[in-house]
Amino acid sequence: MNYFPDEVIEHVFDFVTSQKDRNAVSLVCKSWYKIERLSRQSVFIGNCYAISPERVIGRFPGLKSLTLKGKPHFADFNLLPYDWGGWVYPWVEALAKSRVGLEELRLKRMVVSDDCLELLSRSFVNFKSLVLVSCEGFTTDGLAAIAANCRYLRELDLQEIEVDDNRGQWISCFPDSCTSLVSLNFSCLKGEINLTALERLVARSPNLKSLRLNRAVPLDTLQKLLMRAPQLVDLGIGSFVYDPSSEAYIKLKATLVKCKSIRSLSGFLEVVPCCLSAIHPVCQNLTSLNLSYAPGIHGNELIKLIRFCRKLERLWILDSIGDRGLGVVAFTCKELQELRVFPSGVDNAAVTEEGLVAISAGCPKLHSLLYFCQQMTNAALITVAKNNSNFTRFRLCILDREKPDPVTMQPLDEGFGAIVQSCKRLRRLSLSGLLTDQVFLYIGMYAEQLEMLSIAFAGNSDKGMLYVLNGCKKLRKLEIRDSPFGNTALLTDVGKYETMRSLWMSSCEVTLGGCQTLAKKMPRLNVEIINEDDQMEFSLDDRQKVGKMYLYRTLVGPRKDAPDFVWTL
Amino acid sequence: MGKARAASCSSSSTESSTQIRRNLSTDLRLGLSISASQQDDPFSLPSYLCIFNVSVGDDDQASDWPPTKPLIMRRALEEEENEGSSATFFVKVYMEGIPIGRKLDLLAHDGYHDLIRTLDYMFSTNIIWSEMDGSVSAYSETCHVLTYEDKEGDWMMVGDVPWEMFLSTVRRLKITRAM
Repeated sequence: MNYFPDEVIEHVFDFVTSQKDRNAVSLVCKSWYKIERLSRQSVFIGNCYAISPERVIGRFPGLKSLTLKGKPHFADFNLLPYDWGGWVYPWVEALAKSRVGLEELRLKRMVVSDDCLELLSRSFVNFKSLVLVSCEGFTTDGLAAIAANCRYLRELDLQEIEVDDNRGQWISCFPDSCTSLVSLNFSCLKGEINLTALERLVARSPNLKSLRLNRAVPLDTLQKLLMRAPQLVDLGIGSFVYDPSSEAYIKLKATLVKCKSIRSLSGFLEVVPCCLSAIHPVCQNLTSLNLSYAPGIHGNELIKLIRFCRKLERLWILDSIGDRGLGVVAFTCKELQELRVFPSGVDNAAVTEEGLVAISAGCPKLHSLLYFCQQMTNAALITVAKNNSNFTRFRLCILDREKPDPVTMQPLDEGFGAIVQSCKRLRRLSLSGLLTDQVFLYIGMYAEQLEMLSIAFAGNSDKGMLYVLNGCKKLRKLEIRDSPFGNTALLTDVGKYETMRSLWMSSCEVTLGGCQTLAKKMPRLNVEIINEDDQMEFSLDDRQKVGKMYLYRTLVGPRKDAPDFVWTL
Repeated sequence: MGKARAASCSSSSTESSTQIRRNLSTDLRLGLSISASQQDDPFSLPSYLCIFNVSVGDDDQASDWPPTKPLIMRRALEEEENEGSSATFFVKVYMEGIPIGRKLDLLAHDGYHDLIRTLDYMFSTNIIWSEMDGSVSAYSETCHVLTYEDKEGDWMMVGDVPWEMFLSTVRRLKITRAM
């Protein structure tokens, strides 16, 4: 039923880039399905256990870029045992066996071994880009293999990684012929690095745009690297420890003034607390600033820095900036779109509702927020909702669990209710503080676009969870901990879970019997019970409460790599 | 449970600092420099640990609150451990009329205001320096002027040059009675 030859349709599909749109396109008719699948180059798999590598390769033989996510989000907070799963080796193995010309692999919360990296580096001639976020299981030996064997490597990006640093020599493994690097991020590595090799690598990489160093890179090396790469757009500073009167520091100040292309700055993993004035010339062009790994920078110094950053669109910072500092942000950063304020752990340096209200009033373009704070009031949230209805991501974490509004001693239901009612495009929401079922009533009623919801220590009864499951039609990920939701909530609408990617419930009221009933009714879900103590092994009592349950839709049944402590019902 | 483990506990640090500092409340008349640091009292938790719900000395127990990425939290904790071993620059501070001096880490301060605050507290007085707050009356009885000896041996008033330049040239501090 096509009015055009296939090649023309394929050409049109080239302009359809988002995966969501391509998925929609593939459902129109068989012919479009075929054309789309043969021409799709970039595939995103949100849950690596929802599908098998063979089926992905079978459907998309032209695959060039693969994104995979493994563990559920709460794994970030130590709620998932170490070897729960998420191994990527089977995927790389399957891809290597096939004729897929893989060029890019992006992994999040997966376990990657050195063998896997070695196999990856040897199997794909045109491999260009490796991005690992919150991954584990490898050492710098694996990185050495990537460096040595991927001749056209453009991007090596490690974020939130903790690996064993065997030697700092992996950086020397880039051959002299490797001149294609565009992005290199090893800021999270803890070990030493061969500085000479690093300097030579940067010197022979004319396309290098993004460089994020780890704390083993001292100031004088930084200065040399910047001299070699004045075209850098994104810089992550490792160590910023210096003697103010030293020649190295004076040279660095002069070099930084010349780096006119830098738009994104991060790092400061080690910093002398007194002075960051050398950075000020760079600030005026910055669109992105991440100081969340720099607890060594005092609040006052942060504020001085911010005053220069008028063009900032993205700011990640520690709460040592304080409400006063956020006031400065609100005054200065009118282009701000995304703000994340992390806890620095210093008791009296936290932020409160004041800072948030100031930001919402001063930054009209803000749409993405992650805010760890000492306290929050309903009045403040209502004001924020009035000031700004653009939020697409609103994540609030009050450090004191189940803390009510300190002024009225009421739960924060009304405040969050105002947020969901005002922000019609809200896609992601995280709740905290004292909350009753009422907040979930509001969420079910108003949060029509909500895709991901995180709940902790909230609600009174099953009604809360039911409001959400019934109301939020676009819900994809729901994660709940320490809340009184039980079997009734879990089992009322079992079909809902096939419309979602996953559900996590830990320390709630669901029982083994409830989970088993669910698993029986819904064969296309994997219902995993994660047992950490031995007790459950011997007592198969249906009435026993389940410590941790993770369920997800899948086309390939129970996974074969589940460890002993994971039961798939 | 052994160690104190509360959701919130009072900070042992002085009100003048926003970071955990060694306690400076020393009896000046006795000239003693007893500093009550965290290390002396193994049962008082530094306040940051109270928020993070971590029990001291138990390395295996990872925390699951607050829900922030482990690397960021670990950096915050490391920074606290490293604070003792990071760069320091101690200078002598004398108050006119008192033979026994004090020592102060200039690198633990982020600027003149911070330094003056610490000195005001250490010596229980109001310090006059080149950038004055309107709130401190120059005619108050308990006012002192802050001066420093520079690399050339000259005595200068504190506050005229940028903080960094001050750090590179200061040798010691003296608090003299206002004329």
